[in-house]
Amino acid sequence: MSQVENKLSETAIDLYPEVSESPRYTCALGGAYGATLATYGNVPILHSGAGCGMANAHGLTFASGLNTGGAQGTTSTPCSCLVEEHVIFGGEQKLKDLVKSSIEIMKGDLFTVISGCVPALIGDDVDAVIQEFQDRATILHVNAPGFSGTSYNGYEAYLDAVIDQLLTEVPVEKNLVNILGIVPNQHVFWKGDLENIKNLLEKIGIKVNTIFLNFNGVESLKKIPAAELNLVFSPWVGIKAAEKLKEKFGTPYEIISHVPVGPKDSSALLRKIGDVLGLSKDLVHDVINEEERKAYRYTEYLSEAFMISVPHAYYGVVADSRTAIELVRYGSNELGWNPEIVIVTDNPPEEYREAIIKGLTENLEGVVNPKVIFEIDSHKIRQELNKHTLQVLLASSLEKYIAHDELDAIHLSIAYPVYDKVIVDKSYAGYRGGIALFEDLSATFAGPL
Amino acid sequence: MINLNESTCPTREQRANGINSYNGKASQLVKDAKEGKLVNRERIFQQNSGCILNFYLTVRVATIRDAVMIVHAPVGCSAPAALYREVFRRIPVSQGRPEKLDFHWLTTNITEKDAIYGAGDKLKRTIEEAQRRYNPKAIFILTSCTSGIIGEDIEGIVSEVQPNIEATLVPIHCEGIRSRIVQTGYDAFWHGILKYLVKKPKKKQHDLVNVASMLSYTWQDKVEITRLLSKIGLRVNFIPEFATVEQFETLSEAALTAPLCPTYTDYLSKGLEQEYGVPYFLYPSPIGIANTDEWLRTIGRYLGKEEEVEKVIAEEHKEWLPKLEKIREGFEALKKDGKEYSVLGSLGQGRLLTQTPFFHELGISTPVTICQDFDNLILEEVEQLLATVGDFDIVINTFQAAEVAHTARKYNPDMVLSCPFMGSAYKREKGQTRIHALRGDARDWSTQAGYKGAIACGNFLLQATKNRSFQQTMLAKTPDTYHSWWYEQPDPHYYHKKVEV
Repeated sequence: MSQVENKLSETAIDLYPEVSESPRYTCALGGAYGATLATYGNVPILHSGAGCGMANAHGLTFASGLNTGGAQGTTSTPCSCLVEEHVIFGGEQKLKDLVKSSIEIMKGDLFTVISGCVPALIGDDVDAVIQEFQDRATILHVNAPGFSGTSYNGYEAYLDAVIDQLLTEVPVEKNLVNILGIVPNQHVFWKGDLENIKNLLEKIGIKVNTIFLNFNGVESLKKIPAAELNLVFSPWVGIKAAEKLKEKFGTPYEIISHVPVGPKDSSALLRKIGDVLGLSKDLVHDVINEEERKAYRYTEYLSEAFMISVPHAYYGVVADSRTAIELVRYGSNELGWNPEIVIVTDNPPEEYREAIIKGLTENLEGVVNPKVIFEIDSHKIRQELNKHTLQVLLASSLEKYIAHDELDAIHLSIAYPVYDKVIVDKSYAGYRGGIALFEDLSATFAGPL
Repeated sequence: MINLNESTCPTREQRANGINSYNGKASQLVKDAKEGKLVNRERIFQQNSGCILNFYLTVRVATIRDAVMIVHAPVGCSAPAALYREVFRRIPVSQGRPEKLDFHWLTTNITEKDAIYGAGDKLKRTIEEAQRRYNPKAIFILTSCTSGIIGEDIEGIVSEVQPNIEATLVPIHCEGIRSRIVQTGYDAFWHGILKYLVKKPKKKQHDLVNVASMLSYTWQDKVEITRLLSKIGLRVNFIPEFATVEQFETLSEAALTAPLCPTYTDYLSKGLEQEYGVPYFLYPSPIGIANTDEWLRTIGRYLGKEEEVEKVIAEEHKEWLPKLEKIREGFEALKKDGKEYSVLGSLGQGRLLTQTPFFHELGISTPVTICQDFDNLILEEVEQLLATVGDFDIVINTFQAAEVAHTARKYNPDMVLSCPFMGSAYKREKGQTRIHALRGDARDWSTQAGYKGAIACGNFLLQATKNRSFQQTMLAKTPDTYHSWWYEQPDPHYYHKKVEV
C-alpha cells in the first residue's frame, strides 16, 4: 500500500478545490427551482434531463427538512426530460411543446423556464422559444445550468431574471421593505424565518414583503420595486440583487448579515431599521421593552434544565455563513456558551470572507473567539471537528452520528442537509427563537436527574 | 447475450424494446410486444421522472461498504446522496445492521470551465484522492449528462489510472440522456459490476443464493428472506445496499440467483449465468403467500431441496394461513353490491407481476394498474398473470403525476397505492396509501416479502381502509395542481404525440 501511495499526487485536491465529499449545496438549477417553487403561483418548467428535478427533489427540498416542494414540486413539475435525440437535433421543439402544454394544464399565474446543463451545452435558444408565448402567459427564463454554480447562485439567478424580465417601476410605499438573502430550502428554516422576521418588523410598523410564501406570489414579485428599503439577511447572498435594485429603481439597501436569533439581536435589528427608516424612537423602545420582558420571563422556565445540562458549553457550528453568524452570536451572547470552531460551508466569494470572519469573531461576549474555517468538503470537516472537544455541535444532519460516535457532543441539525426531521415553519428567528432552539436541543438529551 | 467487451450495456429500448407510454388492455400490450409492435411515444407534456443516474444510483452505490463513489458531474447530480451518513442508521444493530457503516463519495463538481476544456485530469486526480483518503476496495465512477456531452473518455482514464490505484475501478455509464427508461440505469450498474468486480469463483458455495433487492424492499424483507432460506440450510448474498465489495466479487460462487424484482435483476442474473454458469430464475418473487410458496419451491428445485421446502411451506402455512383468512374476511366485509374492494397500484414492472396476484389473494380487485415502464423481458410472466387474474387495464408512464391523477379520477378505485414522491396523488375522496416503505424502515409493520410480509402488508392495507380524513381534508382544503378540463377529457395520454420515437 505505501508504495502505491507514494505514486499518488499530493496536490490532487489542491488543484481542484471544488472536488469534495458531499458538499452542502446543490446546483444552480436546484437553487432556481427552489426559489420558483417558493413563489406561490409560479410554475417551474425545467428544460433539462429527466433526473434534474428528481435529484433536487431529493437533494434540495427533501434534504431541507424532508419537504415536498408543494403542489408543483417533485413529480408534479413540468420537465422536458431531454435524451440523446434532443442532444443531436436540439431541444427547442420539445420545450415549445412543453411550455404550450404547461400553460394549458397547470394552474399558475406565472411560468418560469429553468434551463439546465443539457440545453446550455447543445445551445438551445430558450429565449426565442419563450418569446412565442408571451401573449399567452407571463414566462420568465432563468439560465441556470448546474455547472454554472451552486444553489445559492441559482437563487441569485432567479432574482436576476425576475428583476430583468418582470419588474417595472411602481410608486414607492412608505415603510415597505423587501427581504433578500434567505434562500428557499438551502436555508432550511426559510419559511419560518421569513414569517418571524415579518412579524418582528411589523411590531414597529414596518410593512414587509417576504417575496416568497405570500399567496399572491406574482404580486409579491411585482411589488419589489415599491419598497423603501431592501434588507439583505446574509453577508453575501442577495447583495447582487440589492445592488441591481438600487441601480434600477433607486432602492437603498442594508446588509444585516444574519437573521436575529434571540432578544439581543432582535432588539438590535429593530433599533437599526427604526433608525434607517426614521421611526419613532419611543415606539421602537416600547416594543423592545415589552418583547424582551416576555422573552426573558420565558427563559426563566428553561434556566434550570439549561444550567444542569449544557452550561458554558464549548460548541461548534457547521453551517452556511448566515446561519453560522446568528448561532455563534446567540450561543456566545445569550447562552454564555464558548464558540470553539465554526466551519462555513456555503463557499462564499473571497471578497465577502473578511466580513464573515468579523461577523463570527467580533462583538462576542465571553473570552473565547472561534476558529473560523471555510470548507465545503465533508471529509475535511469531519477531520477538523475531531481536533476539538465540544459539548454541543450545531450542524447539518451529516454530523448527527459523528457528533454522537466521535465527538460525544449533543447535536442539533440547523443547516442543510437536514434529513433527520420535518421542518415546516419552524424557525429560531426573533425574540422567541433562542427558546425554540433550546427546546429542540433539549429533546435529544434532557430527562430526569 | 451480454457483451462485457463493451464499455456498457445497451439501453432497455435497444435490448428489450422498452417503452414508457401505453394505455390499454394488458392482453393487447402483451400481444403487441410479442409481435414487436411496442411503440414509445414522445410526450408533449411531461413531468420530472428521474433519469438513469438519479433513479437512484447515487443513493444506492453510495451505500456499498469499503467502496467510494465518484460522481463525475456538476454538483447537483449527486445531491440526493447527501443522506449517505444517515441512511440505514435507524436500523438497530440488534436487527443485524452492520455496526460500522461509514460510506464515502466524492463529486468532481464539473464547472463551466471543465465543460469547455474537459475534466479528464480532474477525474484522474479525484480517483487518486479517493484512494489516498479512504483506501477503498473499489471505486465506482458514475457518469452524467454533462460528462457525456463534453465527451469525457472514461474508459481511457480508467485504464490509464488503474495500474497506480489499488482499488478496483468500476465505471458506470449512466448519463441521464442515454435512455428514456430508468431501468437502463440498473443494467448499466450491473454491467460495471459484471465487467470489473465479479471475480472467477475460487470455490463454488453450494448453499449461497444471490438476491439483488430494490430500495423499495425494507430491512425486514431481508430478515424474512434470510429466515426462510436458512430454514432450508441456505445463506443469502444480498446486494447492493450494505454489501461489501467482496460480496460482489463472489457473486460468481453462488449456487443460484433468485429474484425479488425480475426486471431489476435481469441483467445481473443473465450475466452471472453466461459468464460463470450461475443458474437463475426471474419469476415468481416472494410476495404474497402463494408466490412465496412457489419462490421457495423453485429454489428447492434448483438446489435439490424439494423435500425440505415442502416441510417449511407446511410449517409456515400453519402459522400464517389463519392470519391471511382474517385479512380476507376483512376485505370480504368491504364488498359493495357483491363487488370486490378495488385498488389502483402504481407499480414497477416487478411489482406488476408480484403485487397483482397478491392483491387477488387478499380478495382485492385490480381493474387498472399503472406501470412505470414495460419491455419484452417479462412477456411470459405477464401472460401467466393474465391467466391467473384475468385481463385488466394498464397505463404505462414513469412518474407522470398528471397521468396518475387522471387515471385515479377516471377509474375511481377504492384505494390508490402511490409510490413515494407521487405529486399530489394522495388528495382523494376515497382511500390512498403508500405502495411500499423504503429500505431504512426496519419496522415489522413495513414488511412486504415472504409470509410475514404478506400478512404485514395485508394488515397494512386493511388498516388503510379505516380512515381517510387526511386525504379527504387535503383534497377539500388545497387547490388542485391541474385545471379541471384535464380530468373532464377521457385520455390520460392526451399529450402523447402520435408519432413513434
